Amino acid sequence: MANSDLIVGLEIGTSKICVVVGETRPDGTLRILGVGQAPSRGVRKGEIVDFETAMKCVHEAVVDAEQKSDVMIRSVYVAVAGGHIQSFNNRGCVLLPEERDEIDDQDVEDVKINAREVSIPAQNAFLHSIIQHYQVDGQDGVLNPVGMLGGKLEADFHIIHGVRTRIQNTIRCVKELPLEVEDVVFSALASAQVVLTQHQKNLGALVVDIGGGTTDYILYVDGAVKQSGAIAIGGDHITNDISMGLRIPMARAEKLKTEEGSCVLGNCLPGETILLKDDSGFAGKEIERETLNTIIHLRLRETFELLKRTVEEEPFINYVGAGIFITGGCSLVNGIDHLAGEIFEMPAHVTHAQTLSGLTSAVENPQFSTAIGLLKYAQAVQVDRPRRGITRIFGRFFSGMR
Amino acid sequence: MIQLSKNYSLPERQEEPIPIKVVGVGSAGSNALDRVLLDGMDKADLIAINTDVQSLASSVAARKVQLGRSSTHGLGTGGDPELGYQAAIESADEIRQAIAGARMIFICAGLGGGTGSGAAPIVAQLAREAGSLVIAFATLPFSFEGKRRAAQAQDALSRLNEIANAVICFENDRMGDMVAPKAGIHQAFGIADMTISQSVRSIVNLIQRPGLIRIGFDDLFAALRSQNGRCLFGFGESDTDNRAHDALTQALKNPLMDKGRMLSEAAHVLVQVAGGPGMTLSEVEILMRELGRHVRDHTQIVFGTAVDGKMGNRLSVTIISSLASEDSIATQDTSPPPEPFLAPPPAILEQVEEQPPAPPKIDIVPEIESAALPEPAPDDLIAVEPPVAAEAPPPPVPAPSIKKPAPRLIPPKKKPVMEKEAKPPKEKIVQVKQEVLQFEPVTRGRFEKSEPTIVEGQDLDIPTFLRKNIRVK
Ligand SMILES: Nc1nc2c(ncn2[C@@H]2O[C@H](COP(=O)(O)OP(=O)(O)OP(=O)(O)O)[C@@H](O)[C@H]2O)c(=O)[nH]1
Ligand SMILES: Nc1ncnc2c1ncn2[C@@H]1O[C@H](COP(=O)(O)OP(=O)(O)OP(=O)(O)O)[C@@H](O)[C@H]1O
Ligand SMILES: [Mg+2]
Ligand SMILES: [Mg+2]
Repeated sequence: MANSDLIVGLEIGTSKICVVVGETRPDGTLRILGVGQAPSRGVRKGEIVDFETAMKCVHEAVVDAEQKSDVMIRSVYVAVAGGHIQSFNNRGCVLLPEERDEIDDQDVEDVKINAREVSIPAQNAFLHSIIQHYQVDGQDGVLNPVGMLGGKLEADFHIIHGVRTRIQNTIRCVKELPLEVEDVVFSALASAQVVLTQHQKNLGALVVDIGGGTTDYILYVDGAVKQSGAIAIGGDHITNDISMGLRIPMARAEKLKTEEGSCVLGNCLPGETILLKDDSGFAGKEIERETLNTIIHLRLRETFELLKRTVEEEPFINYVGAGIFITGGCSLVNGIDHLAGEIFEMPAHVTHAQTLSGLTSAVENPQFSTAIGLLKYAQAVQVDRPRRGITRIFGRFFSGMR
Repeated sequence: MIQLSKNYSLPERQEEPIPIKVVGVGSAGSNALDRVLLDGMDKADLIAINTDVQSLASSVAARKVQLGRSSTHGLGTGGDPELGYQAAIESADEIRQAIAGARMIFICAGLGGGTGSGAAPIVAQLAREAGSLVIAFATLPFSFEGKRRAAQAQDALSRLNEIANAVICFENDRMGDMVAPKAGIHQAFGIADMTISQSVRSIVNLIQRPGLIRIGFDDLFAALRSQNGRCLFGFGESDTDNRAHDALTQALKNPLMDKGRMLSEAAHVLVQVAGGPGMTLSEVEILMRELGRHVRDHTQIVFGTAVDGKMGNRLSVTIISSLASEDSIATQDTSPPPEPFLAPPPAILEQVEEQPPAPPKIDIVPEIESAALPEPAPDDLIAVEPPVAAEAPPPPVPAPSIKKPAPRLIPPKKKPVMEKEAKPPKEKIVQVKQEVLQFEPVTRGRFEKSEPTIVEGQDLDIPTFLRKNIRVK
């Protein structure tokens, strides 16, 4: 097996670190060889706050993945998240020289560069410039302008950027292991590659990855990315709310949330309680089920409503036809699809990675969507353009990725 | 030594009541006010003041003032004291009208949010300007509510300390210790409401029912004024054969009082005993003698009794006191000199974290007075007594004029910290130890190391149910 067929995705999440090893097959399909995992420490709200500790955890997960897939990992695609990640749409434009009227590769490169000639905060760096549409002499809907005749090439891009030092923190953490970083990918962009089909992207879809520390989202309309971003709220907040509201330790609250929690209200019998067993097996305390669910409901409702207000700042949500696709660990909260559906007034689905072969059990866990998505992302990028060893981390463009 | 006047007798007939108004500012304040009313209060007028019309609508207070009709549009301030301040300024005339004619104004507020923190100092200010004496009852937020709220609360507290004649401050964290671990946060707030209610009612009773000893306002304020010292609070109630002893024992059970040992450091102790018509003099004597064992000879006990038909066989004891910090002992018996208000210099947030915990505090005992619904006395509640000319207030301490609140960041108070370290007083060792035991070190819990998630002016790390003020049980 040629090493270049091997792709490794790494997510340094708030709750867990996940390393997915896959291979691309000659027929173009992806096969998962193994998934390594380790609980995450030193990460809050998707960002590394304790470098040494986080590094140890990443190392642990990488070793686990190597053992399970029986390969040596040298380089990885890394997901990044965090409340600092922002995006906007911008149009680039190039005029062809008088003596030439056929658009070539260089024009396509130039129009991308032009689209980035906008100011982002000084401390920020570009993560992605994702092509939405080309226009040739004002004509819409051009998918590939190379070879077309025209005088003016325009292109709309969705540009994602974030705070440079925070992105570099993640890269540094991986490089010190030492591993090579093939690329850095915004986590929701990665997740979207495996939870959505091309058809759903065309219909219009909102992907929401709710993890332990962040809620990352990306919105597609007409097959193109229109909006994306992250809110620094996640499952940790739900757990923290439960811990405060019921006055129980965080570990207890976490267990209660995952094993008993729901965000649907009014489904409990009056006075229905959950008996929390003491660790020593002695009679514990009773918790009212409706109280637990109310705490979860209020937090998730608030998060969805905030997300809705955020995406409604632009018109695109109105063109979403396929609905909302919720993934990440928190998508496992009972009834979350109903709540999201009610708030956004559109169909909502809980999903995980689709259409991959290999370890299906891993694929079916929504906590792995981001890491698996990295493989699909990498595959698309590699098809688009030959590998060139260590790639430029910031400031790369590609057209195949949508 | 306890000084009981020689010709005491339980009062039969009430004298002309002193006009007192109790004002709840902000949602927490008006919840506490509701509690005061529900627990029974017919000797003072109650006024709810808030930006939030929903909260106002649900308040049972007879008089309500909406703040900032045009600046907050009937919504809360979303935790912004600046807005709370603006709203109060906008509605200053209405506040003046509502509080007019009172000899004493009691202000209840939960500090940390926007309305309570921003508007309560203004209400205090207006009350002082109108010649009223002001006692503020405030709570400091739970530590898990976040540093921002804590800083806002401290800021408001120091403002109140400058303006009010006395400030009684309760720490919510301590309330949290009082409720069973099974209880939710709403129950902790319930305890806070109850504590405020008990202390408000005790003091109102103390003033309205002169009882055995006529209490001078000087004595009252001397006992209440904490001057950066430590407030003590205890409440006990009993209906046993030995109810005087039992009620006192309960009141002294307060952990901060350290079984009464803390009381021995107090210069003034305020005691209020309430009971049904069956309460006897010998019971009161027993109680005072026992209490005498817990105080030093020269401690002045400000003492009052109230006969309350609703008490039945029960007898209750409320103890309120303050431990002077060393520097303030000299000024304890006089009114606080009007401190010139200095706008704190801008400070960075990190420095706020260096702040020592707020010194003034009162602890409570967990015993809950069974909530008896008040006998309907609507006339008393609504009628505004005109100020009695003979009881014209003493020339009030010139209060500082209204100023824009300084930046809501607390200036680094390096000095007090250094002073404390420089001369560790022997007697205070107990206190220090208690703080270690009783304070939870957590402030932001899980999100300690991360940047706070502030969206649309709200700290989203604070539990949603708490910010939305939804009682989860
Ligand atoms: N005693 C008591 N305290 C409360 C209650 N609810 C909240 N608090 C506390 O009071 C503080 C202030 O909260 P609120 O009173 O709701 O805020 P507000 O003053 O109305 O200000 P805004 O709503 O921000 O305009 C909080 O930080 C809590 O610590 C309550 O029901 N009772
Ligand atoms: N069955 C379940 N029900 C509810 N919540 C769950 C369940 N299983 C996991 N979770 C929650 O999902 C969260 C972890 O999700 P995930 O693994 O996607 O996060 P992460 O990738 O580590 O974090 P992030 O992407 O935010 O940095 C935790 O808060 C966990 O409590
Ligand atoms: Mg994740
Ligand atoms: Mg309010």
